[in-house]
Amino acid sequence: MSTTSAISQLRAHKEASKDELIRHFFSLPNESADVKAITLLGFDSMEINAVLTLQDQEDSFAGRLYLFPQYLCFASLDRKSVKFTVPLYTIRRVERLKSRAGIFALSLVVWHGMSIIVQLTSLRHTADLFCNQLREALKVQLQLGRMKTLKVFVKTLYSEVIIPPSSTQADKEREDGSLIKLEDGGDDNATASTEEYLGGLGLTFKFPGDAKKLREASKVKLWAEYFRSHGRHLTLLRYPKCTRLVQVGLPNRLRGELWETLSGSIYLRFANPGLYVRILKENEGKSTMSTEEIEKDLNRSLPEYSAYQSEKGIDTLRRVLTAYSWKNPEVGYCQAMNILVAAILIYMSEEQAFWLLEVLCDRLVPGYYSPSMYGTLLDQRVFEALVQRCLPIIHDHFQEVDVQLSVASLPWFLSLFINSMPMIFAFRVVDCFFAMGPKVLFQVGLAILKINGEKLLQIQDDGGFIHLMREYFASLGDSAHPYSNDPRVRAITNFQELLLISFREFSIITDELIASERRRFRSQIISEIEAFSKRAAVRNLKTMGRFTKDRTGLIYDVLFKAVCDAPQPSLEHESLDANGRPETRIGLQTFKVFLSNVATWARDETIVSNGFQERYDRRVADHDLINRLFYFWDTQDRGTLTFQDLVTGLDGVMFNDLMANIEWFFTLHDKDKDGSITKDEVLQLSESLLFIFRYEIGDGYLASVGRFLTNAFEFGDALLPHGDDEKVPEVAPNQPYLTLATFRMVVLADEVLESFFETDFSASFKLEPIPDDQPATGGFLGDLISNIVTEDSKNIFNKLADGIGKTMGKHKVNYRPSIGKTVPLQEPKMRESIVSPSMRKASSSSNVSQLSASTSTTALGDSASLSPELSTLSLNPAVTSPAYSFPLVQAVTAAIMERTTFAIDEAKDEEGEEDEEDVDLEDGLLEEVDAFLEAHDSGLTGAEAEAAKDLLHAPPMK
Amino acid sequence: MADANDASGSADKHVQVKLVLLGEAAVGKSSVVMRFVNNEFQANKEPTIGAAFLTQKCRLEDRVLRYEIWDTAGQERFHSLAPMYYRNAQAAVVVYDVTKAASLEKAKSWVKELQRQANPNIVIALAGNKVDLVTPAPAAETSFAESEDEPDDATATPGEISASAGSHGPESLRQVPKDEAQAYATEAGLLFFETSAKTGEGVVEIFTEIAKKIPIEYILSSTRGAAGRNGAGGARGTAAGGDVNLDGAGKKAGDACNC
Repeated sequence: MSTTSAISQLRAHKEASKDELIRHFFSLPNESADVKAITLLGFDSMEINAVLTLQDQEDSFAGRLYLFPQYLCFASLDRKSVKFTVPLYTIRRVERLKSRAGIFALSLVVWHGMSIIVQLTSLRHTADLFCNQLREALKVQLQLGRMKTLKVFVKTLYSEVIIPPSSTQADKEREDGSLIKLEDGGDDNATASTEEYLGGLGLTFKFPGDAKKLREASKVKLWAEYFRSHGRHLTLLRYPKCTRLVQVGLPNRLRGELWETLSGSIYLRFANPGLYVRILKENEGKSTMSTEEIEKDLNRSLPEYSAYQSEKGIDTLRRVLTAYSWKNPEVGYCQAMNILVAAILIYMSEEQAFWLLEVLCDRLVPGYYSPSMYGTLLDQRVFEALVQRCLPIIHDHFQEVDVQLSVASLPWFLSLFINSMPMIFAFRVVDCFFAMGPKVLFQVGLAILKINGEKLLQIQDDGGFIHLMREYFASLGDSAHPYSNDPRVRAITNFQELLLISFREFSIITDELIASERRRFRSQIISEIEAFSKRAAVRNLKTMGRFTKDRTGLIYDVLFKAVCDAPQPSLEHESLDANGRPETRIGLQTFKVFLSNVATWARDETIVSNGFQERYDRRVADHDLINRLFYFWDTQDRGTLTFQDLVTGLDGVMFNDLMANIEWFFTLHDKDKDGSITKDEVLQLSESLLFIFRYEIGDGYLASVGRFLTNAFEFGDALLPHGDDEKVPEVAPNQPYLTLATFRMVVLADEVLESFFETDFSASFKLEPIPDDQPATGGFLGDLISNIVTEDSKNIFNKLADGIGKTMGKHKVNYRPSIGKTVPLQEPKMRESIVSPSMRKASSSSNVSQLSASTSTTALGDSASLSPELSTLSLNPAVTSPAYSFPLVQAVTAAIMERTTFAIDEAKDEEGEEDEEDVDLEDGLLEEVDAFLEAHDSGLTGAEAEAAKDLLHAPPMK
Repeated sequence: MADANDASGSADKHVQVKLVLLGEAAVGKSSVVMRFVNNEFQANKEPTIGAAFLTQKCRLEDRVLRYEIWDTAGQERFHSLAPMYYRNAQAAVVVYDVTKAASLEKAKSWVKELQRQANPNIVIALAGNKVDLVTPAPAAETSFAESEDEPDDATATPGEISASAGSHGPESLRQVPKDEAQAYATEAGLLFFETSAKTGEGVVEIFTEIAKKIPIEYILSSTRGAAGRNGAGGARGTAAGGDVNLDGAGKKAGDACNC
């Protein structure tokens, strides 16, 4: 389970754009890493048809050449045979080759002298443009000083050690002096550079497996040969031979370097020198939940490997894991990362492992280790679907005996098989994984099931499945054909057979297939995670108050929506609750969004009609009352609210009767909770009432607030200790002014307020099911629609319609009332107990407005004469207590004081009544229209609208 | 370790019981299991990813129970995977740490979840682990127990090691009073033990008591019909009333949503 905000981010997921996919294909860092170069250059990428030839190599490959701001990439037409990614900072010289007319060819010489020849086969002017862009891009690299750092950087790589210097030099006969000089540094003291290269714990603690059996020496020799002809590390060109060399297993000493090269993490390490050390330094000594969790697992990460029985190994592991948790606090630390990192640290230095982990979590297996682990769950679903498709008999059997594939396969994926297979075999799977991408996990997984097919059909339960898999993994080193007469066949191990079947029989499992399957199941997984965390959140509540489970679920839904919609989700705190569990706490801004979806008065809702459509526009309201409520519910003074706080808070108000509501409202405004409110607080309270009533139709509510103020002040003043003189004594800012009892009396004196507190206020909190806005159901059409029908275009349509409506004079915007109740306009029944003399005098009047007007006038006049201070307070906020201003009160007072005419009042009121009837009618109509619009509005379903909304915040497409 | 053949061959003698261990991270779930399974334990201290799977037989009167134990990962983010492991389980041991009050709260929430989401007949035991840290020390702690405990230390939390090393005023470390936990367990209908994976106290007792409480006859009667079926078959029997085949598949689709 994870917190709401973590899960809400799942909805924000966007499919990778075409550009991103190409970057992924070439293992490039995200575009954000290129920002500097992009701004200097003013272009993102360019591609062109080209034919690749390599010096001294016979084969040529037709394909496409891509220029990114910092990289030059090539892929053969089949996208399989050949590809390369060459950072521009490794290119030392570009020459246009003189050749037959009509052929436009470039020779690119990289820093170690290898020359790559590309023939640009597109139209001439495209080729020219490409060359220009390339030139500019190279200049920028020079400007950024990348080329200089290269010299230091390459010394960290073992391949530089194994390439005999003489031959390197021989390769470079044609090179200019600077290049040779660069190599010279390495020549003079080969031993020195041997010590400089980065390596893993294996260098000290031995590599797993028998080096002789693994034929280390010959593998290194083969790679050295390959490096010489096809480049190395940053400039490694991937020809078919490269893949074959990967598939037979990487040699120990080159493994780390090749992992970072093949996965592309080497580009990140190059671009961010020293960042790893800096992160560690900046966060030294800090403790987070992640660091604590890491600490617990350090001793159980490959404990059988000798390095992890020593301080040195444990420290290394701790540093990489914690550094990553600081680099990416959203992921933090997830069990399984410990095993992964422990494994790669055998072959890589800390810094290399750090960047490899970054690429892993970010690109190769996204979401695997995130707090919701959605990537893990998603890939398990994808795997199950692939088993169903490729191995239907096994799938059916599992269904029949109710065996869940994931009990065995989840750890395979999560630990890249490191936790499942003997290490030497697991590392060979990992080799392929870094070279060929995540599809390898699926291919190997399918092959395991296929090989064990017969036995799998015998298993009856999860336990049997696990046993069988364990036995199989334990036998990976055994001969696959122990009874064969041919010794060569006998020598084939189970593992070799596994790889063979993985890549031969499951070659249909491509990256594209995986990507489309992930798209297919993503929304399903996300809604399952959402439902799961909702259940858990509701279950973990200490109390649901008087809410039913379903209603509590509705509160959760509104909270979840608020967290999704909140402008700055990063403000949400994920802290630990009293039990050390992470919990979601929402801040004030999110609370406003939350409340606006619960309380009718906490939103500004307009009814827009423009002759074409009628719609509700809802905006989050902002008022002191909402802030007050937030802090009122924040019983622990944390400055944030939990789900429990919200449930308890709503429980405290939604079930109240008249008296309870009056008390609740009073307490809400009683800041020091001493049972009485100050004069300022009386004004604030009336402000709150006015805020709630701001969109009510007619003057009834306005008038009643006016009456309330008058009465409150009258009683408050009357209760003040009087001196000898007639004057009301000065009221100190903190002086208790009105008690609950008095407040209650004043409220009950007024029928409008009484009815408000009796039913309307509690009823203004409405828990309605949130329209089901799951993320778009995916699939091609879903994506397409959500791309086209964005919230943006919806807004544009609305604006357009409004504009036309305006020109036709049909555009109307009305605020929707929060209470929306007809104000009873009969003569109020007077409550003897609290009627003041002035009121009694006026009680003969048959009109409520008249009454209120006259009383207000009198009352205010009285108090003005009695207490000059008060009159300035209410009439001229600018010069009074600096903390508060009361524009609304002022407006009301002004409005009421201006109005005296009886006849107009009456007429107005009748009109008002009609109005309200109309509104009621209209209301009903509008709801229908609204419902219709919701269903048909631009063909957007809730899900699509949600997805569309996400796009609203998306950065512009490049 | 018993293999699939063994299990199906002697199904009429063995009753297979699926048991899941749940609880907050670092309360000692794995240590409890290792203590229990020790005899069959091969020297690997398997790090828990998702869940570790172990088996152990338990003799009860004339019958042998074969526990299939799923020792789940305690980290919070693995929570959503837990339903995969506790579905069809006939028993659960929910572990907390007597020196950490919050771990009991987490245990309670696991119990709630099990009672609502898991097999309705599931037998749940509550185990307050690390009780050795709060019992005044130790003539009882024989050298044998300590040496036998060695393998556990690798997976034990640093806190456990350091705290037990300097066991001054042990009772003061206790954050969960025994009677409080006992009261909760009684109220919620759970078996309750305080245990120490380190000394072995209470560990075997839990599994024995669970064995007594499990409706073995019921599992047997529902599995006997389908010869060779065991464990999951039995679980399904309890849940779906003995009808094994297609029903199971249908049920699974619903269950799968839990994770």
